[in-house]
Amino acid sequence: MSRSKPRTPFRIKRLILKELRETLRDRRTVLTLILMPLLVYPALSLVFKTFLFSNLQIGLQDDPVKLQFVLTSDGTNDQTSKLAGRLHQTVRQIQQTNLDENGQNPLAAEIKFAFPNLADFHDHTWSVLPEEQADSLEELVEFSSSDPNQRADVGVRFLTPKDNSPFGYQVQLFRRNDMFSETAAQYLNAWLKRANQYEMQMRLKMAGVPSQATWLPETTVVGELEESSSPVPLASLIPLILVLMTITGAVYPAIDLTAGERERGTLETLMAAPIPRFGILFSKFVAVVTVAMLTAVLNLIGMFATVWAFQLDKQLGVGVFNLTTMFQILLLLVLFAAFFSAILLVVTSFAKSFKEAQVYLIPIILFSLAPGLLAMTPGMELKGFYTICPMINILLLARDVIQGSVQTVPAILAVVSTIVYGVGAIRLAAELFGSDAILYADSSSVREMLQRPRSNQRFVPLGASTLALLILVPLNFAAVHLLDRLPSETAADFTTRFLVMGSLLFIQFMVFPSLVAAYQKTNFKTGFGLTTPKPVFLLGAILLGASMWPIVMSMTSLWHDVYTWMAGAEAGNQWHDQLVEKTEQSVAAVRQVHPLVIAVCFSIIPAVCEEWFFRGMLQRSLLKHKTVLSSILLSGLVFGAFHMISSSVIAVDRFLPTTLMGIVLGYIAYKSNSIWPGIALHAIHNAFVIFLAYYQKQLADQPWFPADEEIPLTWVMTGVALASAGLTLIVFAQREPCEQ
Amino acid sequence: MINLNQLCKTFVTADREIKAADHVSFEVQPGEVFGLLGPNGAGKTTVMRMILGLLKPDAGSAEINGISSSNQPDELKRQVGFVSASAGVYQWLTGREMLAFFGEAYGIADTDLNPRINQLADVLKLNDFIDRGCATLSTGQKQRLSLARALVHDPPVMILDEPTLGLDVVGSQVIFDYIDHLKQRDKIVILCTHRLEQAQRVCSRFGLLHEGKMVATGTLADLQNQTGHQDLVSMFINLLDDQAGFPQLSPGEST
Repeated sequence: MSRSKPRTPFRIKRLILKELRETLRDRRTVLTLILMPLLVYPALSLVFKTFLFSNLQIGLQDDPVKLQFVLTSDGTNDQTSKLAGRLHQTVRQIQQTNLDENGQNPLAAEIKFAFPNLADFHDHTWSVLPEEQADSLEELVEFSSSDPNQRADVGVRFLTPKDNSPFGYQVQLFRRNDMFSETAAQYLNAWLKRANQYEMQMRLKMAGVPSQATWLPETTVVGELEESSSPVPLASLIPLILVLMTITGAVYPAIDLTAGERERGTLETLMAAPIPRFGILFSKFVAVVTVAMLTAVLNLIGMFATVWAFQLDKQLGVGVFNLTTMFQILLLLVLFAAFFSAILLVVTSFAKSFKEAQVYLIPIILFSLAPGLLAMTPGMELKGFYTICPMINILLLARDVIQGSVQTVPAILAVVSTIVYGVGAIRLAAELFGSDAILYADSSSVREMLQRPRSNQRFVPLGASTLALLILVPLNFAAVHLLDRLPSETAADFTTRFLVMGSLLFIQFMVFPSLVAAYQKTNFKTGFGLTTPKPVFLLGAILLGASMWPIVMSMTSLWHDVYTWMAGAEAGNQWHDQLVEKTEQSVAAVRQVHPLVIAVCFSIIPAVCEEWFFRGMLQRSLLKHKTVLSSILLSGLVFGAFHMISSSVIAVDRFLPTTLMGIVLGYIAYKSNSIWPGIALHAIHNAFVIFLAYYQKQLADQPWFPADEEIPLTWVMTGVALASAGLTLIVFAQREPCEQ
Repeated sequence: MINLNQLCKTFVTADREIKAADHVSFEVQPGEVFGLLGPNGAGKTTVMRMILGLLKPDAGSAEINGISSSNQPDELKRQVGFVSASAGVYQWLTGREMLAFFGEAYGIADTDLNPRINQLADVLKLNDFIDRGCATLSTGQKQRLSLARALVHDPPVMILDEPTLGLDVVGSQVIFDYIDHLKQRDKIVILCTHRLEQAQRVCSRFGLLHEGKMVATGTLADLQNQTGHQDLVSMFINLLDDQAGFPQLSPGEST
């Protein structure tokens, strides 16, 4: 039998075909593919119509839509009625009279807004109600009609009710986010403006002034009326729904082709064939993306058909839905499907069974809802951090595409960063997929998270430290928000606040990990690295601790430059100002507290507790299973990520310097086989940063202290030199043997 | 020739280390069927997976005709047909599609592929179901299809890990007959099975594995001399009874 080495592209094509055949013949996939768009969109449109846009139905009726307005004034009821009469008369004149030289009256153009079949101005219900009848205009409006679904909650209060004066008025909108009311308010406001304009023109004409004069009477509009404001940001909702549908389409094949295949025993057969592992994974990736795309395309068609059938685009002021928009959205969906499929494959390649994969994926899907909902928030713009924030960037870009307001640089950043994440995820998946541990291990990794070992351990098992880490994330969030709730007025408040902060750090990063280690029967000396280090490591650490702060601070300003480059000068300055303001607030708070408390809470406790967990427990359990490099990098990244959690916002600027710091600390802990040098470095570094701020005023009087907020280059260079010296000592010192 | 030299593999779990292969060494020549026998958990499957390069040994090496999985993993895999008890079939493909897929994966020329599939279908009696979706097949049919899949590229080496698990007597007989046929065609076969009577009939040499250690290797006569037992079943039972009668081999030694 003739046999040849097949070319890789050929084999991958065959592999892809096989995966697609397997997936598309599976009725469950087909069911998700076809049934979802068939059922979901009509159901969703029903929901829209019933709950969200109930008032739209009025707009879709054949009869002209009549609005109900309440008119009042700060004068007598009689005066209000007169004013109302004058308004109607003016509007009628506008509608009937041709004023300009061309025989056109520009003011008479129809004002329709969202409702195409709005009744004539005079056919709406105009109730004149005396102001004394209720405490406020809002009450008056409520009083005028009992059915809120039929009522535009808009009232008009005329001001300065003097005869022959222009209409000074307030349009008040009481139900924000109610489409009907918002439209009514815009409609009314537009007509009142025209009425004023008309009256003014007439008066100027009578006085012999040319009619081009643009002076307008003073009017007040209460409530910000935005043009074409829409209660439900459909342009944001559409991408979210599409993305969720794409995810739905990708999930089943992703699980089935990896964890499912492993469970059925076909994966081993495939791995035993002479096909490169990456080829196998890549073909699965293509199959998952294809199914995800098919789902997305069917959903896209379903959605556009629904939008078109229910005229939602017209009603909600969404941009034009044309083929170009659809094509652009489709391209974005391909990108998103590829990115998300890669993420899914990482997770499902790690899972050992279908069930396990499902358990992992549920939180991922729920987690991806958060950026989805965030992207729906009105006023969110695709700029700055959001351009590179996975998922949010694509959602915002898709929204901009629908609204026709795409900006080139943020769009490119969003696309490129998503590609980078996707490629990274695929690489990781390839590493995980079919590796010894994944192919043959039982579910011990999951079990060992909770299981208590029978014998004593030298290191906390990786599963247990991973679980501890996962628990620490919400704990840390809770701690940060708890601190935010504490009073912060007086010096005593701040002292209490800092002491609570220190105690929380102690509980999270020292007490909790210690309990985990005790439960896991781990020897604390080996598990946390409590051995006495060689003096050279301590010396190196002290040098680094004293010299890293100018470097770290320059990194923050470097991040500022990067941010400014990405988001533009305005956003950059805004960010900088916010940071300065926040820092000044914190420094002002710190200065009110005794330096001893500051030393304990900002230097000693964080140093001891964070080293205890990150370099002690976590890095040492990682080292047992992973290479030195990946253990140090991982613990550094986790350390950096934890420092991003600061009150209510994600402080991205802290990530880079803290991660670098974490890596240096990780290296020292590895080399010295102890956490003590790291504790020294951490404490000294923190002390420098906090006390420079604490004594800034006193230091500023010194001639050598820089007046500028930028760190002088000489300081940075001195820092680098000292840090290099410290690092050299550590690099060239012999590694302390590990007692494994 | 298959040559295993001091293969070691240890699995680490939360609280203990399991030595699945502890300096395992043996050789198999063309025309030999080597019965790798041992109780559950003895490390047989681990050894087979290391030969194939599916598992990386902690120490030692495994070579097939001078090719090792560490140097030329793909070339080594081309030399081997692998059937395992857990080997599944693709539910949504037909038997023919599955065989064609693996044939292509092993690089068989298109012109040769169909005749080869037809030939295997005749020999392994697949014709009744080869064009049906695999999801509808019985255990025996699936296992025969698996065997055909492993043979599609006509490899010089066959590694069979419990190929008759879950099969009835007739189903098992088809498989064992084919193993006999492979022996006659000068193939190298490593067979791992619990059907000791059948193994005794079909295997030329044996290796008895216990707790990761190779406690005895040789022909049936060699084992009878070493253990004083006449048949594999009694040898096996004694192996479980604290390895009574088995002389301990020093690492690397074979008889």
